[in-house]
Amino acid sequence: MPVIETKNITYTYSPGTPFQMDAMTDVSIAVEKGDFVGIIGHTGSGKSTLVQHLNGLLRPTSGQVLLGGQDIWAEPKKIRAVRFRVGLVFQYPEHQLFEETAYKDIAFGPKNMGLPEEEIDGRVRRAAEFVGLKPELLEKSPFELSGGEKRRVAIAGVMAMQPEVLILDEPTAGLDPKGRDMILEQIKAYQQENGTTVLLVSHSMEDIARVAKRVLVMNKGRVAMFDETAAVFSRAEELTAIGLAIPAVTKVFMMLREKGYPVGDNVYTVEQAVGRLLPLMKKGGGTDA
Amino acid sequence: MLNGITIGQYFPGDSLLHRMDPRVKLVLTFVYIFAVFIPQNWIGLALAVGFLVFSVAVSRLPVKLVLKSVKPIIPLIIFTSALNIFYVSEGVHLFDWGFIHITTQGLVTAAFIGIRILSLIAGSSLLTYTTSPTTLTDALERLMKPLKVVHLNVHELAMMMTIALRFIPTLVEETDKIMSAQKARGADMESGGLMQRVRALIPILIPLFVSSFRRAYELATAMECRCYRGGEGRTRMKQLHMNGMDGVCIAVLAVLVAGLFVLNFVIPAAL
Repeated sequence: MPVIETKNITYTYSPGTPFQMDAMTDVSIAVEKGDFVGIIGHTGSGKSTLVQHLNGLLRPTSGQVLLGGQDIWAEPKKIRAVRFRVGLVFQYPEHQLFEETAYKDIAFGPKNMGLPEEEIDGRVRRAAEFVGLKPELLEKSPFELSGGEKRRVAIAGVMAMQPEVLILDEPTAGLDPKGRDMILEQIKAYQQENGTTVLLVSHSMEDIARVAKRVLVMNKGRVAMFDETAAVFSRAEELTAIGLAIPAVTKVFMMLREKGYPVGDNVYTVEQAVGRLLPLMKKGGGTDA
Repeated sequence: MLNGITIGQYFPGDSLLHRMDPRVKLVLTFVYIFAVFIPQNWIGLALAVGFLVFSVAVSRLPVKLVLKSVKPIIPLIIFTSALNIFYVSEGVHLFDWGFIHITTQGLVTAAFIGIRILSLIAGSSLLTYTTSPTTLTDALERLMKPLKVVHLNVHELAMMMTIALRFIPTLVEETDKIMSAQKARGADMESGGLMQRVRALIPILIPLFVSSFRRAYELATAMECRCYRGGEGRTRMKQLHMNGMDGVCIAVLAVLVAGLFVLNFVIPAAL
């Protein structure tokens, strides 16, 4: 049974006014437990709207969101409990830090859950370790930290709630390549160690190709594709048609194939590319390489 | 959640009122506000209200919108009218009970006051509906220029107003985002006692302050990068121009004011 599922959800902004607009139309997806799903789409394609439905921040105009097979809106008063089970890290989460110390900020979520003090302490330290925050940083004010460190504190704040489903909206936006790689690796490690279901929203095909097992492509508020990563990237033309770029490596390999080099398909990370190219080069290349 | 808030009530359009020079519009609105208090008789009052109805028609705004603008002040009108009913003791007594006297004169005064306040509010809302906030600040800046004599920096004041207006929607959006982010971490803003609710605001207000300061610094740097040096010698992209239509409007209102004064002499006062 899927851990989280949406059934034909549609969301309309400001219904009944001249500003009425459908942000999302008839979206049905099902995510299995322990899956790592990349969500990709243009600005305004409805990805952020979709993820805010999954933890009950937005209520669908029509349709259902099921968590563990149960409609999250069955009892609207208990929606807070859903938010502890589905953790959502917003875009630029460092802007929401407010406590005196990083430690207290990470503890905000677990505290709202009403956990005992020792449990909170354990969770905060574990989460900080996952995102690679040194223990001495925990006692500093979050406003004294660097941009990358702030981002990690904010992500740890959601991880510390130990949600069954962890959703991250553009966690790498605005970070340098090194910071981006680190955060992606840490999220992946977290997912593998805890068996958490992770949904990662991103603009970057490269990011998604590196970590996601399945990819959900959104276009104009609808689901355009939802399939295994390899299957989605093999539909390069369709992706380009809706204005999304396939990873640069994949493009290079498609061109190589067109030129007649036997490089095979489904290459979307640099590591894979190296693996395919090295044997060819050892053989002395095909034609005149 | 905060989507419902509309700041500044500007309702875009292309009517005569929309195209009027904002300075003229501003001054005429003030004149109208005073004019509403001139008539001492029903015909004069009807004329003043009639002028307002005519202006609404010219502005081509939905009537509903104008009515909506007076809705919040209805309690005030009821309050002031009631005060007048009870405090005026001249005229034929209709009802006496202890110290409370309701007289015909009291009812008339109450009606006059009520209608005056209504027209005053509806009239000034017509200004804000047909003028965008930035245009309005521009007009204010021009009109307040003479205050330079008393060393009031009108330009800076106007710039501050413009920036404040510009950032209201941005801050609303930001508040919305921060609220969602804290709710995602289980912040509870809908339940608990007063103290608990006030405390629940901290996780929202602190990030909001921090980001406002950040924005302010960024904006200051951006303005300096574009060589902003205050109002000295600064020219404007949009020059305000008066044209013939503005002259006509001024004349119409002048006639109205004069007419109201004349009517006061010709017709016996109802007050």
